[in-house]
Amino acid sequence: MIDMYSEHDKQLEQQVDRALKALPDLAAPSTLAPRVMAILAARRELPWYRRSWEFWPPAVKALSLAIMIGGFGALCFAAWQLTQAAGYTVALEELGQRFAWLVTAWKTVLVLASAIAVVVKQLGTPFIAACCLALGVGYAICVGLGTICVRLAMARTY
Amino acid sequence: MRNYQNMVFSTALRLTANQAEAEDISQEVFLKAYERFGELKESPTAGGWLKTVATNLSLNHLSRYRSRWNFFSEMFSPSDPEGELPFEVAAPDDFTAHLDRADSQALVEAALQKLPPAQRVPLVLYHLEGLSYEEIAAKLRVSLGKVKTDIFRAREALRRKLGARLSEMLNPA
Repeated sequence: MIDMYSEHDKQLEQQVDRALKALPDLAAPSTLAPRVMAILAARRELPWYRRSWEFWPPAVKALSLAIMIGGFGALCFAAWQLTQAAGYTVALEELGQRFAWLVTAWKTVLVLASAIAVVVKQLGTPFIAACCLALGVGYAICVGLGTICVRLAMARTY
Repeated sequence: MRNYQNMVFSTALRLTANQAEAEDISQEVFLKAYERFGELKESPTAGGWLKTVATNLSLNHLSRYRSRWNFFSEMFSPSDPEGELPFEVAAPDDFTAHLDRADSQALVEAALQKLPPAQRVPLVLYHLEGLSYEEIAAKLRVSLGKVKTDIFRAREALRRKLGARLSEMLNPA
């Protein structure tokens, strides 16, 4: 366990603190201000409908907000009306028939999974262990190669 | 903007240790500031606001773009306090007498930027941004113990690399 509060550490903390606080600000690149100004100028050139909503004219903002709230309300009302309609149950049944293929597909998946389970049981534990080992080795190789690539790509960052 | 650009850029550069990333972050800070220009133009706390935004954007940037490969880089990073940093400075005895204050500051700056991010970021947040250990742990989403250890290791790394420079900066002739 590192003793963070020894006399040496306190002294070092003070020294580092004073040394870092004594550092002057670094000069920003001369390209920074022109870049910001260029982006701001380009933004000013944009028509209102291509800017973010926050910067739309107030009247348009209010109108769009009213339309959104009205649209959402209408949608909720329509959904509620639909559930009250007489043909709702019929429509629901029709919808169920239309998507019956999904149930069939799910049953097929279950049958396939059962078949795979039977095959795995037949193969035995050593074979499964060998497969797992091969997968593990493959994964380790991927991690290793990935590490090398990342280190090479980012070598100049630090 | 010109009054604050160096401060914003320094904050970003000391956290990211990357010139291009720091410039991008500074640009984003000033674009955000422009969106709140009305509030900020007369505000006496504009500098503090800009510094906070620069810090937060830098931390966001670090977590967004580096978390994916940090695992790999940490495998080789010299986080061990006894390990050598990838930073070469002549032995302190070679040039102690000839360094002026600006040179010492440049060395400290370079040594700081060469620290591994796991050490540099909490060190900068603690000493330059004035955050407490607890605040740093919360911001970086790491344990309090890790923050203390990383800052301790960062100070030790600076001491090893700078040696007499630290004292010299504090007691200039």
